[in-house]
Amino acid sequence: MTVLASEPTRKTSTATQKSYLCNGNEAVARAILDIGYDAEGYYPITPSSDVGEAISKAYADGETDLAFIVGTSELAALGICTGVAVAGGRAVDVTSSQGLLLKAEQMPAISGLGLPMVLNLATRDVNAPLNIKNGHSDLYATLGWGWLIFMAPTVQAAYDMNIVAIRVAEAVNLPAIVAYDGFYTSHANRRISVFANRDDVQRFVGPAPFVKTLRGENGRFSLLDVQHPRTFGPYMNDDLINSKVQMDLKFERARAMLPEVFAEFERLSGRRYGFVEQYGDREAERCLVALNTAGEAAKDAVDALAEKGEPVNLVVPMVLRPWPEEEVVKAIGDAKRIVVAERASQYGAGNYLANEIGAGLQRHKNSATIIQRTYGIGGLNFTSDDALAMYELAKVWPKLSDPNERQVKWYYGAWPGDESYKPDQTLVPLTAEQCTLNAGKDGKVNLRDLSLMPNRFDKHSACPGCGIFTTLNLFLRGIDGQVVFLFNTGCGMVVTTGYPLTSFKVPYFHNLFHNASSTATGVVEMVKRFKARGELPEDVTVIAVTGDGGNDIGMDQVIGCALRNDPFILFEYDNKGYMNTGSQLCYTGFKAQRNSNAHLGPRQKGKMTHHKDIIEILRGTFAPYLATVSESHATDMIRKARKAQQTVREGGFAFVKAISVCPLNWGMDEHVGPSAVEAIVNACLHPLYEVEHGITRITVDADKGGRKIPVTEAFRKMGGAYRHLLTPEFEPLVREVQEEVDRRWQRLKAMAEHDLL
Amino acid sequence: MVGYELPFRDELGFCNVLMSALGGDGANMAAKLLFKVGCEELGLDGGYDAKYGSEKKGTPTDVSVRFCEPGTLVRQVGPTTRPHILVVSHADLIRPLELNRGLRAGATCIVNTVKAPGAIRDELCLHSGKIVCVDATRIAFETKSRLNMPLLGVLAHELRFPDEAMRARIARQWPRVAEANLAACSGALTSMTAMEFGEDSYPFLPPLVTRGPIGWRNMLNGGTIDALTHTTAGRDNRLAGRGKVPEFHPESCTSCGICLTVCSDPGGLLWREGRMVGIDDRFCKGCMRCVEVCPETKKGKALTWVGVEVES
Ligand SMILES: Cc1ncc(C[n+]2csc(CCOP(=O)(O)OP(=O)(O)O)c2C)c(N)n1
Ligand code: SF4
Ligand code: SF4
Ligand code: SF4
Repeated sequence: MTVLASEPTRKTSTATQKSYLCNGNEAVARAILDIGYDAEGYYPITPSSDVGEAISKAYADGETDLAFIVGTSELAALGICTGVAVAGGRAVDVTSSQGLLLKAEQMPAISGLGLPMVLNLATRDVNAPLNIKNGHSDLYATLGWGWLIFMAPTVQAAYDMNIVAIRVAEAVNLPAIVAYDGFYTSHANRRISVFANRDDVQRFVGPAPFVKTLRGENGRFSLLDVQHPRTFGPYMNDDLINSKVQMDLKFERARAMLPEVFAEFERLSGRRYGFVEQYGDREAERCLVALNTAGEAAKDAVDALAEKGEPVNLVVPMVLRPWPEEEVVKAIGDAKRIVVAERASQYGAGNYLANEIGAGLQRHKNSATIIQRTYGIGGLNFTSDDALAMYELAKVWPKLSDPNERQVKWYYGAWPGDESYKPDQTLVPLTAEQCTLNAGKDGKVNLRDLSLMPNRFDKHSACPGCGIFTTLNLFLRGIDGQVVFLFNTGCGMVVTTGYPLTSFKVPYFHNLFHNASSTATGVVEMVKRFKARGELPEDVTVIAVTGDGGNDIGMDQVIGCALRNDPFILFEYDNKGYMNTGSQLCYTGFKAQRNSNAHLGPRQKGKMTHHKDIIEILRGTFAPYLATVSESHATDMIRKARKAQQTVREGGFAFVKAISVCPLNWGMDEHVGPSAVEAIVNACLHPLYEVEHGITRITVDADKGGRKIPVTEAFRKMGGAYRHLLTPEFEPLVREVQEEVDRRWQRLKAMAEHDLL
Repeated sequence: MVGYELPFRDELGFCNVLMSALGGDGANMAAKLLFKVGCEELGLDGGYDAKYGSEKKGTPTDVSVRFCEPGTLVRQVGPTTRPHILVVSHADLIRPLELNRGLRAGATCIVNTVKAPGAIRDELCLHSGKIVCVDATRIAFETKSRLNMPLLGVLAHELRFPDEAMRARIARQWPRVAEANLAACSGALTSMTAMEFGEDSYPFLPPLVTRGPIGWRNMLNGGTIDALTHTTAGRDNRLAGRGKVPEFHPESCTSCGICLTVCSDPGGLLWREGRMVGIDDRFCKGCMRCVEVCPETKKGKALTWVGVEVES
């Protein structure tokens, strides 16, 4: 049987290798660079984000010439990969969890079209309430999507399986997933062996496929072949069933070739892989089946039991598609009691792996008992101690005192809670009267009076000096009455509702990263409906809150809300990056600014495009109220909040965008925020204005009183992440930014002067 | 490296180090460097794992490094729950995070504190082992280094890593601040106080297992939180703010409300009936934004900076 990569079976390998200290994501990045891809489509999501960060760094440094393209969503990123592949290029993508599900529509299209590529999946549970830790429910979603699936239990395997995967994928014209455990592998630093010469890897995987594809020599074709035009992705009727047969036959070809590919990889690397890894005693009564890191951790338990004279068996499937039924059944051997432990559940049914194994055993007339346990969700680890508990379970089941434990299918590590727990009330709900301080005040703003506005939230865990809640709280002082919040995923959401406590004193809902806007539409429609029927006693103002990233991935839905003129306020805090996931670039960022996936190096100088202007994008919707605000201009912000609320009360859509500092990722002292945003406003990097039904009014004119400053003066205030923009090397790029900012400012002024614009 | 021996070893052959810190302390960087020194300079093997969550500045985070002899199979993942060496970057993390849980008998605990080992022993309820106290905050401040450096210096010392290997690596990793960092390490080694304790006072406690009063029987539908009973009102932010709060001088305050427009957390400032009355030191995050904007009056500023961070 096969032995794991961390235990080299062959000391000899034909390729020179070197030791490399890295985490799982860095190992994947290294494999991507070694393989030589034409392109990576990218969109960040924890815990896979740093693969793209490493690749973009290598690009900036000139180590690779692959096209690194940041999409506006995971679906966009995979669409980019699809375009690369249909052109005949070699594409790779990386994602996790929700990101994978957003790609869902594209996934079966890629396999159906026979486009080989590799998608690295740093597994993470798919869920709500949101949890970013490990789980295999994302992986399980892919099982029927026609992708080859390779498992990588270790950091070493994450590197190796990438090399195997692209080889097989291109040989059979199917896409492949390499699944490694989020955090437990993606963020685990280990010593691994990597090939010292890229040539060795490239010989193994074969040359970049374009030339052969163009000539039709590898069973597929290039869209760019104008000499021989072909139609890709036709409309198909009854014939579709034949396409399905073709796909299945490809999996059989993959199954047939895999042993030789693994053997060849072993000759090259000295590391042996197979369809399944069996460890321990095949003749043992008890067997544990587990995937990835859990399977790896369980080996220490197998050893410990063997030492005590208790032989047990362990089976770790390494390939899920094509499913190696024969090999798994053989590996299970003589076991009579098999615990199949899975990092996911198929609620209301047997779990995936358990069902698959049960069916296989039945076909082989093996009547061993299968006990199913879901483990390791939401941050719970699985160590050798847990594996020992599984073997103990196999021994004693079903003689257990807890009736739940006696069930064939149950959860390991869940707890029932204390039903007598009745905590004291600590919050008196806010009343509309308490929260009405702006009514009848017209243009007058008295900050001292507004100190009486009750906090709709407080006591969060954002970084000290963070602009998000400063800004939002100030804005809310201009909002009267009852408020209902909808938040997109982002720092704002993550730091306020760590279960079981909430910072919100008013109703709050976090749905997904990108659709607080559409969710708000659903809510306000119901407000209208229930009010009309007299069933909803109080008026509410619905406020959707998002980061600037949420309006990259959710831009289409925001436009929809604006076009439908749905009566809610959409509040964007713009901190110039995807801060929650580690400061990746957002389209709002300034040209030449640095992000974790837009590096400074000989080939690249930070972000390559100018900052997005969302107000101008939304201008075309002719929404009734669009405005920009800054905490540095408190009265201006309060007036705009009032107008936004008035707009919503009159049945219209209001969009408000605030500039918001991120001391952590900007590398800025915590106390500098107020003066930094003031500088940003004065430099016209975030001019303060409003657009009512398409008519522009500048509310804070930087040209008045000689307040306008060069953009560099703002960058100087913005912390270490912007410091490079003050160096002579960046002068030409910064000049470009200045020119663009001035051009936009002049345009804005021209519009403000015109009666119709 | 010939002659080097790990000071501790568990059943599987690993010496387990756990660093308990706050986001922004630089624990990850320190752990990564330590791991590299162990593997690349001393020829050890092992792993460096972190319990990544949302790493906002000031939120608790764990990083763990495990070392073994080369040839030992590294199969376990995730931060260790049973450390031989515990590094605590703020003594006030000990109680809320129950850092004594899972500590092995005879463990070494390195704590950033001004207190003496005896007092820390009682805070930790250490079963047995050694407590090393070091005023890392002061040393970092005085040497213009970071908090992680004095702690890393002591940790390497307790691991018996050769001094030269460690110092050379630190200098190489951060060349521009090499001097400050090395001064911080040396400062820590000369000023630390250590004491050993036998099994005389406290029982051994197994690792912490997540369990709360809310479980699958009584969790509200869909994981909903009842805000009436589960607000963050009782939360103590002093850990994150580290007791660093502005000073308020009521006689200079006009209750103009400007501080309110910039406060990091609306819970930080105390206002009663339209008047500013003070800072709530349990929620103030110590960002000093309010100090920046508080206007200068004839009587001076109503909000002023305080000195160095203090241990609460
Ligand atoms: C579909 C999907 N893709 C990616 C993510 C990961 N993700 C969560 S928050 C975030 C960035 C948020 O950026 P932004 O909206 O600017 O808010 P900030 O973090 O700056 O507060 C990303 C990429 C996700 N949750 N769902
Ligand atoms: S990372 Fe930035 S945006 Fe997020 S909480 Fe910290 S300071 Fe705020
Ligand atoms: S800014 Fe200063 S003067 Fe104004 S209310 Fe706050 S503490 Fe008082
Ligand atoms: S220092 Fe001032 S602004 Fe910062 S949290 Fe404390 S009270 Fe608020």
